[in-house]
Formats: sequence, structure tokens, C-alpha cells
Amino acid sequence: MLVRDVMTVNVIAIGPEMPIRDVAALMEMRRVRHFPILEDDEQGEARLVGIVSDRDLRAVDSPHPSARPDVHVSDPVRSIMVTPVATAHPDDAAEDVAAWLREYRVGALPVLDGEQLVGIVSPPDLLAALALPAAIREPSSVLEVEVGNRPGCLAALLQTLAQHGLNVSQLTTTRAEPEIGCFIVRVNTIDAPRVAGNLTREGWTVLWPEPDAAPPASPQRGPEVEEVA
Amino acid sequence: MTRPRTLLVDDPVLERSPFGSSHPFRAERGALTRALLEACGALHQDEVADVERLDERLLGAVHEQAYLEALIRAGRGERVDDARMFGLGTSDCPVVPGMHRVAMRAADATVSAAELVASGAAQRAVHLTGGLHHAHRARASGFCLVNDLALAIEHLTRRRGLRVAYVDVDVHHGDGVQGIFWERADVLTVSVHQSGRTLFPGTGAEDEIGAGAGRGFAVNLPLAPFIDDAGYLAAFDALVPTALSAFGPDVIVLQAGADAHWRDPLAQLSLSGDGLDAVYGRVIDLAERCCEGRMVVTGGGGYDAWRSVPRAWARLWARLAERELPDELPETWRRAWGERLGVSLPTRLREGTLPDLDARATERAASHALAVAKRVAARLTPLWRRED
Ligand SMILES: [Zn+2]
Repeated sequence: MLVRDVMTVNVIAIGPEMPIRDVAALMEMRRVRHFPILEDDEQGEARLVGIVSDRDLRAVDSPHPSARPDVHVSDPVRSIMVTPVATAHPDDAAEDVAAWLREYRVGALPVLDGEQLVGIVSPPDLLAALALPAAIREPSSVLEVEVGNRPGCLAALLQTLAQHGLNVSQLTTTRAEPEIGCFIVRVNTIDAPRVAGNLTREGWTVLWPEPDAAPPASPQRGPEVEEVA
Repeated sequence: MTRPRTLLVDDPVLERSPFGSSHPFRAERGALTRALLEACGALHQDEVADVERLDERLLGAVHEQAYLEALIRAGRGERVDDARMFGLGTSDCPVVPGMHRVAMRAADATVSAAELVASGAAQRAVHLTGGLHHAHRARASGFCLVNDLALAIEHLTRRRGLRVAYVDVDVHHGDGVQGIFWERADVLTVSVHQSGRTLFPGTGAEDEIGAGAGRGFAVNLPLAPFIDDAGYLAAFDALVPTALSAFGPDVIVLQAGADAHWRDPLAQLSLSGDGLDAVYGRVIDLAERCCEGRMVVTGGGGYDAWRSVPRAWARLWARLAERELPDELPETWRRAWGERLGVSLPTRLREGTLPDLDARATERAASHALAVAKRVAARLTPLWRRED
């Protein structure tokens, strides 16, 4: 997943001369936590020169230890903006950006394509993207199967499922150890215990659901004899 | 002459599964339950109503034309190139000759039950082989071809102008019905089910609440595996009564799947027979409180087909029709149906064996379920407030 797929593109930028008090009001109104700050260079092109967060704004004229006594709400935002700015590129991996946010201890990264501001990426964007693989794509049951951590083992599982006429709509891995990986597959059947039973009888280790105990169904077979309660 | 308050809609065709006899969906469960009730003297001839033919236009209001055409062609043995796109020809919904006719008959029966209640001919009407809640507008899924419940609800709302609360206690999420009424404010869908994280079809998360005009009118209570009677009922009580009384239905449509039972081979909840009976009782009580008892009731899932299901649904009927059932089940029924199905049927109404519960797992499931129920109620209550 790339930054361009997850970033917020309707980004509101401000100029460096806007008074801090106005910036705070605007931020309140637009319900965002960061403003990239743009300023024209000698050629008249807008350039990213800084970023300001809601936390930076709150510190002004407050008793907070990080508040600077020389800055007041009537001063331009230039006096408190963070510069230089850590940025991301639209083709960076979303997973990398998640790590950078922790590393730089910032709440958002402006996204620059060359010198042009094209978006901003923050934890809610990333969380939505990371939750996407778990979203249900079609009616399906979950199977959790141990698969050897060697070439061809996962392919063999998928091949087996295909032979049972099942479509795999999702595939995730929960752990991979030196010898064994564990995969969660979603397959298009309501009868997951029967699939688990078939897999077990074919030698797979199925962790969820509990396999049914019945032998493979044959068309001639009548209903099983039930235990009498 | 006073009309019976509760009627059973039935038809010999309904004994057939659309998918044939080797498929896990056992249509004989309805006939098996009916025979048990008759043998117990709890169901009389004049309490059985015939199935009326369905209006084709109703079918078109619920399902997409392209899907209906594919279903009919597949059922007639004609080639359908994009069958899998419609969920047909899968292991759950194999293509079987004549399946469309059986499925539509089942839909007719549930709509017939709805009309009996709408017209006042019955206060409660039951169709035990209905409840095919996984059928979507344009897709067969999870043993379901035609969404009889959605057709009945469409009939009750659009034709009869009634507000419908749909309550689905099948162990699987009622995804088809929820999807079809996703943007409707005159239909409240409530589904209590094993969470999609561990069970088919995967949906039914608590944040699925409907959209547009229907925002707040889809209610989901997903439960962790191994929840027991007490945990289930406590969570149910924390959410469902509030939702129903806030919504104020004219009629309740209950999908009474029996697969939340601990013996069910397709799911992992730990309800006992008494627990299921209590759940059904809760919904019947709510109908008494909210809508003068008016209910349209269907069966649904239930794959411990010869043991838990007939007992659960016999008890459901006994509650609806206010009958007493003997604990000792009639030998005539056991012999006749045992031979016919090639199984040995239970001797008693109440089960002798209870689930073997892992105290820690049930406790955790219960505590989680209650938290979910309270969260959903808190989030949706403002949306249920009616402007009147
Ligand atoms: Zn079910």
C-alpha cells in the first residue's frame, strides 16, 4: 500500500504571516490538527516552509514549560512553525510512514511530489488502510491452518482448497516460525467444519474451526446415526 | 368461531431441500417438527394453513432480475456462464434441477405467513422451512437462494404499510436481510450472532448500523465463541428490548435458527436447549409488549438436524400457540421418523447432556458481549429517537 492510496488529498495550507490566534481559530473550524505552511519563493512558486500542530498552538501564552515567553497569539505563525519539515513522497510505502511517525514523534507528514504539496498523511489514514485487509469482501468462513514454511507448502494448501471447489477471498498470516507458518484463509462456504475435516483427513493441521468428525460425504450416505440424549 | 391465534404454514414441497438429500441443509426438519407436534397433540388440523402463490413483482422488488434469470435457468438445467458470480454452482449452493421451484415455494410460504398476520387471520404465523437469510439481492449464499424473509418484510412494509422489526437469532449474521434493507428506516434489522471474525459470513460487526435514511436501523450484536445461556441472554437484554421499544414495530419477523445450540456442528456458541427456548421466549414477550403479539416466525439454520432442531422448534411452537409438551416424546413419532430418516431420534424434549463449558472462555465471552451490547445501545439510541 502506497502513501498516495491512503493520504488525505484535501489539505488545507496556510501562509507564514497568519497570526497564531487566527490559525488556532481556523484549525478549530476545519477540525484538523496540522497545517502545512506554504510561502512563495523568488519564482513565485509555493514552497513548503513549515508545519504547525494543534499542540504547538496550545503552548502559546500558556503556563506550559515549553511555551516561549517571547511569543504571543498576535505574532505570525512563522515564529512557532516547525522547520525543516519531515515529509513523505506519494510512492513511499504506507507501512514505512507508520514507522516514521513514531520515529520522528510527529502527528502528520505533508506529502510532497517534487516541490508540490499533494496531501498529508496522519495516523487515522494509516489505520484505515491497515484495517482494510480485514474487511470482509464476500460471504465467507475463516480457516486457520498450519502451513510448512517451505516453497510450495502454501501453494499446496490453496491447491487443495481449489480442488474442493472453494474460492479464497482473503489470505493473511498470523505467525511464521522457522518450520511452520500459520495462515488464515477466508473461503466461500458456510460449512467450514466440513472443509476443516477434509483438510485434516488429508494431513493438514487446522487450528480453527474444529474439524467435523464425519467421513467425507458420499451421495449414497443417509443421515448419520445420532446419539440419543 | 374464533380463529386460531397461531397458524403453521406448510406444504408437502417444503419437505424437499432445493439442493437434494446429500446436502447439509435439511428441509425435512420442518416436517419432522410438525410430525412431533401432531404426535404430541400440540398441533391441530385447523391450525395448518396452505401456501399462497407469490406475486412475481414482489420477487423483483427484492432480487435483481439478472440473478432471478440465472437462478431459473440454472434450475432448469440450462447453461449459465456467470453462475459463480451469482453464487450458484458453489459447494454451498450447487446447481440442482428444480431448485428454483423449491426455493420459491419456500418464499411463497413465508409471504403467506406474513399475509395471515397482516390480514388479521392470525396473530402469529410460522413457516419452519423458511428463514433463508443469507440470500442477497443478486447472490445465492450459505444454502440460501431466495430471501423469503426479505420478501415477507417487503410485503408487510410496502403493501401493508407496516413497520417491521426483524429479529434474527440464527447463529450466523443475517447478512442478506440486513443488506436488502440497509437504507430503510421502516425496517429495523436486529441480528444476534457469532462474530464474523470466527464464523460465516464474516459480516455483522457492531459498526454496521445502516446508511442513509436507514442509518441506525441495522443493529448487530456479534458474540465470541463459547458464550453460554446466561452470557447470551444478558447481552440480548441489554440491547434488543431497548431497540424494539424505541422503534415501535407493528409486527416482528423472527428468524428462529437453532444453530446457536452447543451441539450445532457448523458453529461454536454454547447455548443449551433451554437457552434457545429462553431466547425465543424473549422475542415473543417483546412482541406482546411492542405490537400486540403480532409475529411472523420462520426456522433457519440448525444442523444438529435430528436432535436439537425438532426439540427447539417444537418448544418454539408450544410457546407461540400456548401449548404444553410432554417431556417424554411419543414413541410413534420416534419410530416412524427414525426409520424414515435412518437415525435414532431423541426420547425426551429436554436434553440430558449439557455443554461442557470452559468457565474462563464463557466468562470472557459474556463480559465482552455485554460491553458490545451496551456500546451499540449507547451509540444507536440517539438515532432511534422518533420525531413525533
Ligand atoms: Zn445459521
